[in-house]
Amino acid sequence: MKYYLKKIVSMLLTLLVVSFLVFAAFEIIPGDPALAKLGAEATEVRLAQMREQMGLNRPFLVRYGSWVLDCLKGNFGNSYSYNQSVRSMIADKIPITITMTIMATILTIGISIPAGVSTAKHAGSRYDKGSYVVNQFVMAIPSFFLGILMTFVFGLILHWFTPGGYISYKKDFRGFLGYMILPSVAIAIPKCAMSIKLLRSAILTEADKDYVRTAYSRGNSTTQVLYGHVLKNALIPLVTFWGMAVADMVAGSIVVEQVFNIPGLGRILLTSISNRDYPVVEAIILLVAVVVIVMNLLVDFLYRKIDHRIDREE
Amino acid sequence: MRKLWKKYDNFHFHIGLILTSIIMILAITGIFYTPYETTEMNIAAKFARPSLQHLMGCDNYGRDIFSRVMEGIRNTFFIALITVSIGTVVGVLIGAATGYFGGLLDEILMRINDALFAFPSILLALVIISILGTGTINVTLALGIAFIPSFARIVRSEYKKQMSQDYIQSARLMGAGDARIIFVHILPNILPVLVSSVMIGFNNAVLAEAGLSYLGIGVQPPEASLGRMLSEAQSYLFTAPWYSLFPGLVIVVMVLGFALIAEGLSQKK
Repeated sequence: MKYYLKKIVSMLLTLLVVSFLVFAAFEIIPGDPALAKLGAEATEVRLAQMREQMGLNRPFLVRYGSWVLDCLKGNFGNSYSYNQSVRSMIADKIPITITMTIMATILTIGISIPAGVSTAKHAGSRYDKGSYVVNQFVMAIPSFFLGILMTFVFGLILHWFTPGGYISYKKDFRGFLGYMILPSVAIAIPKCAMSIKLLRSAILTEADKDYVRTAYSRGNSTTQVLYGHVLKNALIPLVTFWGMAVADMVAGSIVVEQVFNIPGLGRILLTSISNRDYPVVEAIILLVAVVVIVMNLLVDFLYRKIDHRIDREE
Repeated sequence: MRKLWKKYDNFHFHIGLILTSIIMILAITGIFYTPYETTEMNIAAKFARPSLQHLMGCDNYGRDIFSRVMEGIRNTFFIALITVSIGTVVGVLIGAATGYFGGLLDEILMRINDALFAFPSILLALVIISILGTGTINVTLALGIAFIPSFARIVRSEYKKQMSQDYIQSARLMGAGDARIIFVHILPNILPVLVSSVMIGFNNAVLAEAGLSYLGIGVQPPEASLGRMLSEAQSYLFTAPWYSLFPGLVIVVMVLGFALIAEGLSQKK
């Protein structure tokens, strides 16, 4: 219990630092939000009124405090470029990013466990060497190039899907899931290659240990030993990697969204950056950071569940 | 060169060295010479197929893709090089200071570092770009800053490990100052770890730069960049698939070469 509390407190502290950094970063940008909102021909009086109305005259820390409280309530302020709240702009995009990340995570774990175990089982064979070469090669392909290649092969040659024909999840959820398969694969495959390689070497280090010999001597088959005994221990380093991979995949989805013409968080982030629409950028960055930090916390908890040595250290 | 080849006598290292050499030759030649002007438009050669005149074919303006790829490699290569240099130098300074001295400085800097670590590097670069604005120099700077936290973290943990070693005690007894111990005594010992993380960092920088210029944020036209070529090529995927294929393959070769060298170095024989 004490362990969980300590971790949660430290996570909250990190969140606080992150939110402060995000807020401070957008404070030091030269430029006046009131001017950005009213346009260059605004009069001095009008500007002063606007600054008062937007609360820009208050001290820095007070503004930070009220910003954090607003964010906690889910109120991220209003967009500079569009006359609507940031919340309404990004709320219906979040499910797209989340769906893509979840699908990619499932693919990564689902492919890499059997593939990693089987390459470790046949270590040194021609199959193992072949998969090593493929892995090295795949790791070097940027996911957006993979996306373009898949568009060419599956879209233009095989006609399995219409390139750029994104289907909204509100209209047709199954069609949406179908369209999301290729983008998810594009993000997942480089991570898969990494995890297969990691899992293979983790299993091979475990394979020399005493408990493996004992498991064999009790009459277990190789498959039983690998899945029933070795895998549990070999997964420990993988959990850390997957935690980081999820964060990368959230960021990677921004780029891959462009390849498949998906109107998700990535597109809004990019247009907001070029429009200098800072409240939107701030909100998206903060959301991603929160997701990553919470992910890290969950990984720590999971770690403790599967690796009992951590218990003893305290 | 020959000594290196002999010292790391394994398959990965050799293939990696060959691939990287090809890329380096293209990058360095690209500074002085390209077969065609990179911005020269030739409507007659619009979407020309790959041939002896145009090794990689031509794009939608009839520009020679091979020449543009050469310029793109040069841009990507130097951006990645500067990025990693910024990340390494600042990362080593911060990591060494926090790992060596510890205390309050360590506590504060590492808190900030952990917070920055929560952002995937491409996202962190996007934040910095949204503050600095787009363009080649800003992207290089942004990526460089985005790479600092990971280097600082690695260097710090290496310094922490070294601190309990006896040689530091004896260096102190001999009257060496902190700066001398940090740079002359400890730094050479963490070099192997640093070199492999620089290699991995270089690859991440290449991938991140390609991603950013694919999004239209990096190198601005008419300068050629591999990522940007890919995003332009995507509209002509059906009519001119080679326009996407070659810039993409070049990125793959570049990353693969460095990854194999890193792999080869770790398998010293």
